[in-house]
Amino acid sequence: MTGLRARYLWPGGLVLVCLGLLGLAAGQLVALERQIRVSATENMIWIFGQTQAEALNLALALSGDADPQAIQTRFDLLLSRLTLLEQGPQRRFLEAAGLSEPLSGLRADLLRVDPLAGTPPEVLQAHVTSLIATLRGNASLVMAHDWQTQAARLDRLGHLHRLALAAVIGAAIAGLTLSAILIDREKRLMRARLDRLRSDQLASDLTREREQSENHRQFADLLAHQLRTPLAVIDSAMHRLTRGGKPAPPDLVAEKAAVTREAVARLVHLTDTALLMSRLDSDAITPRLRDHDLRELADAVIADVRRAPPRDSDPSRIALSQALTPAIARCDPTLTAEILTNLLRNALLYTPPASPIEVELKQTISHVTCRIADHGPGMTPGCLARAFDRFARGEGHGNVPGSGLGLTLARHLARLQGGDVTLAPRAGGGLLATISLPAGDAS
Amino acid sequence: MRHTVLRLIMILAIWAAPARAQEVLLTLTGAVTDGRVDITRADLAALPQHGYATSTSVSDGRPRFDGVLMRDLLALAGAKGERVRARALNDYVFDIPISDFHRYDVLAALTMNGTPLTARDKGPVWIVYPRDDHPELADIRYDMRWVWQLVALHVE
Repeated sequence: MTGLRARYLWPGGLVLVCLGLLGLAAGQLVALERQIRVSATENMIWIFGQTQAEALNLALALSGDADPQAIQTRFDLLLSRLTLLEQGPQRRFLEAAGLSEPLSGLRADLLRVDPLAGTPPEVLQAHVTSLIATLRGNASLVMAHDWQTQAARLDRLGHLHRLALAAVIGAAIAGLTLSAILIDREKRLMRARLDRLRSDQLASDLTREREQSENHRQFADLLAHQLRTPLAVIDSAMHRLTRGGKPAPPDLVAEKAAVTREAVARLVHLTDTALLMSRLDSDAITPRLRDHDLRELADAVIADVRRAPPRDSDPSRIALSQALTPAIARCDPTLTAEILTNLLRNALLYTPPASPIEVELKQTISHVTCRIADHGPGMTPGCLARAFDRFARGEGHGNVPGSGLGLTLARHLARLQGGDVTLAPRAGGGLLATISLPAGDAS
Repeated sequence: MRHTVLRLIMILAIWAAPARAQEVLLTLTGAVTDGRVDITRADLAALPQHGYATSTSVSDGRPRFDGVLMRDLLALAGAKGERVRARALNDYVFDIPISDFHRYDVLAALTMNGTPLTARDKGPVWIVYPRDDHPELADIRYDMRWVWQLVALHVE
């Protein structure tokens, strides 16, 4: 972090320093420009030249035969030039050039020989002659100072220009460095973000893979366990039939054959379920959705269940409430029959022998639902929450044959068709299993 | 004796005042009424008087100038032209566009800080620009138009 801060510090500082220098140079340039503008109006060489010219003009008028009025005018003009030299900016220029002393008092001296006051022309002439000499002696100094001032200003101007240029170049270099650092940092951040995303992806892939493999392991355990019981039943039946070395009586053969067939049917059902689950897992099932009357489907499924009920159960408890209208759903009949079979067999297996099971169909605008209500013990909230998880078995059902896959499969199959399977406690006790499917067009 | 001196001064004053008033301060030539107009001090006094304080390029502070507007002066002489060639007592000559006088309140100043301008300073007439009211006037191109000791204007 300190290294990073240090990396920003020096270009940032350089930018600030350069901007400061640039500001300084700009300020001084403005001041100098104003100075040059002001000094341009001073124009001392011209003013001093004019003063000299007026002195010479007065001398010329005095040496000739000029009338007093003309001499007076020339005198006034010379006086006005000397007045000008003593005023503000001009006086300061002469002071800076070290000329204020030799040139001071020239105006007062001239006023003392004012022709208006009756000064004789000879006296005035002598005064003017000496004045001309004084002015001539200092003219070159005025010019030299003027030029020197100009040259010094040009030097400063050049210096300021170079300073400003250096500041601009410095600021540009620092700015480029800063941008390079920022771009580099942005790149690193981007790369780090990508790396993190990738590692998150990998982690979640790994978790899913672990879950899947754990599921498969449990599935295999369960399957083996579930296979064991019917196999043991078959084995025991075969053993009984072949015991004693003599042919078994026909009624015993018939009884054991029935037991064996039922065990085989359970084995077939188990393998069918396992197969279906496996195909679901690999997305190998594509539902063929058509409009079907759910009532006909339910009737057929109930008839099937009645033909081959789970062991020790009485399928006559199942009652389909008779409604007059057909309930057309858009579904795959095979998959829907599987779901209904599952839910009905569950209801038969997990409720007391004599309790009724009511099947009811309902049609709404968007969905067709089939509700299977039982009068059994129902499910605890915890069981309800986990009922659709794989291999979740209800509490206290260890002796009831089941794979823990039935509800999972039912919900999967319903969702595959755009519907769903839900469980809810029934008012007055028992469980309410609902399968809902999208309504068909014909409805 | 004292009486005589007083009387003499009075006579001089009575004689001098109109003489001073009739003194020709400016001569306008060129595109003016009849080609030549002499402007006396009395003519200037008859025009509307204006004044303001402004800095100058040749002195410190902001002296107050009073006099008449150049555009009024030119109107009085019936001047019609693009520019005037101003001439000073020392034959300094400078061309000034007449548009200046309409764009700015340029004065033909006769007094500075209440004191009449004389030939010994920058008088009797000094062309003064309102330098502080318009930033563009604080520039050598305009400072050169401040013709002092103005005696003649040639309108072209």
